[in-house]
Amino acid sequence: MNNLWWFALPILLLPVWWHRRKRIENKAALMATARFLPRAEPRQTRVWRWSDPLLLLVRCLLLACLTAWLVNPVYSSRGDTVVVTQGTDAAWAERQAAEAGLAQADRVTLPGAQALGWVHAHEREWRAEARVLVLGDVPMPATRPLFGRQVEVRTQPAKVPNSEHHVFIASERAAEWRRMFAALDGPEKIVIDATPGAATSLIVWDRPGAPPASMKASLWLVTDARAFPELAKASKLGALHYADSARGRLWHHAAWPPRDADSARRLLDDWQQLHVGPRPYTLQSQVFAASKEADAPAPGGGLRDILLIALAALFVLERMLAHVRKGAQ
Amino acid sequence: MSASASLIAHTTKLDLVIRHVLAGLGHGIHAGRERGAGVEFSEYRAYAPGDEWRRVDWKLAARADRYFVREAERDSHVAVWLILDASASMAEPSRSIAGLDKLAYARTQLGCVAAIAQRQGDAFGLVVLSDGKVAFTPAARGPRQLQRVLAQLSKAEARGALPDAAALKASLHFAISPSAVYAASDLLDWPSPLSQALTRLRQMRHDVRVLGLQTQAEIDASFPDTQAYRDPEADEGVFRFGADLRDGYRQNREAHFATVTAQARQNDMPVTLAAIERAPGDVLRRWLRRPGGR
Repeated sequence: MNNLWWFALPILLLPVWWHRRKRIENKAALMATARFLPRAEPRQTRVWRWSDPLLLLVRCLLLACLTAWLVNPVYSSRGDTVVVTQGTDAAWAERQAAEAGLAQADRVTLPGAQALGWVHAHEREWRAEARVLVLGDVPMPATRPLFGRQVEVRTQPAKVPNSEHHVFIASERAAEWRRMFAALDGPEKIVIDATPGAATSLIVWDRPGAPPASMKASLWLVTDARAFPELAKASKLGALHYADSARGRLWHHAAWPPRDADSARRLLDDWQQLHVGPRPYTLQSQVFAASKEADAPAPGGGLRDILLIALAALFVLERMLAHVRKGAQ
Repeated sequence: MSASASLIAHTTKLDLVIRHVLAGLGHGIHAGRERGAGVEFSEYRAYAPGDEWRRVDWKLAARADRYFVREAERDSHVAVWLILDASASMAEPSRSIAGLDKLAYARTQLGCVAAIAQRQGDAFGLVVLSDGKVAFTPAARGPRQLQRVLAQLSKAEARGALPDAAALKASLHFAISPSAVYAASDLLDWPSPLSQALTRLRQMRHDVRVLGLQTQAEIDASFPDTQAYRDPEADEGVFRFGADLRDGYRQNREAHFATVTAQARQNDMPVTLAAIERAPGDVLRRWLRRPGGR
């Protein structure tokens, strides 16, 4: 689409024609005794001469620069490149780069989530023979990425840091709830609080009667729906009732605490997915072959900034020269 | 020291230039005052700047606390008529002195004649031919008239062509009393309504003197050949000047002016051809010199 702007280049003829025409008009002086001259065509108007060649040059450059700015060309300047995601073990990255024969290649450090997108957006900037290697913890993208050139990805899953989640259990059957939370594996660690505090994110309310008004948590697991009037109008998802209240979100299930391993697993998974967030999943090491269907996005070439500066400078120069010429006439 | 032509290019104050030119001439040009001031008293009039102090009536000044000038009855009734050709071709500049053109030069010459006429006590009037129209200033005497005429001269701009014969003929109603007619033109249009009018005036026994203004570049045929030229009055496209065309130009021009002088001589109408690069005082002296007396 941008490349169509190259067809605007013939406007360069405009200043050329303009400067030539001006010459014919301006350079005829008045002469009262012209009537005594023999009839002869003026010779120099047929000669192709330039008036103000400097100004003409600047004007042509200005228009060419403007066209180039609109075209937004890409200057393929990048050679072999190793893209390393942030937080990657440097020694591992060096080893992998050396294995791939790219020890001397340029290094680009990017956040892991942006690495593949960045490579895709800039893939026209690499020279044809350049190789691209992406190293580190690259999260699995939602769709399979397509590249217009071959891109190799070598991943090393980063260690997920443990996270603590405070739970307060108000129940006569606390042992059953504790057993359920103890079954949780993964980076999430459950801390059972003796009293609910500011850090408490989950409260198990397995008692008849309403809790004190001061207790708040982002999620409540409620076994007795009568304790919370909000649950009377709760939405249903299977046997699970859920509602929002001033204390936090309420989940209610008649069959809690879970009796078997499956229902306990389901409850913990739901909690982990909805309230803790999905666990990172790292892309597997693989080589993406060049694909013809890859539609590289419109290139946002770095040349555009340079062209813009040149455009401004040329414009100022043109105005000054035109002003000087007007003053000289 | 006589004023040079570049003086005209350097100032726009016409009265200043005229004073300078006339000062350079000395007294050779004056025929002397023809009337004895106050010989035949006619009337008083208020003093105006430029009046001679000796003509102020001092007794009356003492009585009235104002200056009055005694006007004498004029013996001679000769009127001086100044005719200025201000067609577009008069804007032709001197190619050697920057800022000087034929119109400015003609203005100075006519202004000098007007100043001389005023000093001699003659009535003088002005006719400016510009842009197809005739601007007419009736003849009168005195310093105020001089200021009026100089203002009209300064206002004249080189524009358009000469008025046609009918318009000019309608403006020649002044020619009843004997008068001296001084016309400044470039004489490039000849025969023209102006030439016909001058010839008719001459045939009516008026003293007609024509000043034909030229530039040194026209005389030498030395125009720069680097540019094209256009005729200011006729839109006939562009002309080229070059060494190969110089002889043709010179021949055409000389033939034209030979015709002009021959026809003028035939009608007993002296024509003074002068280059505008010459000192205005010298040109003025040549123009005003009596044709017979050398």
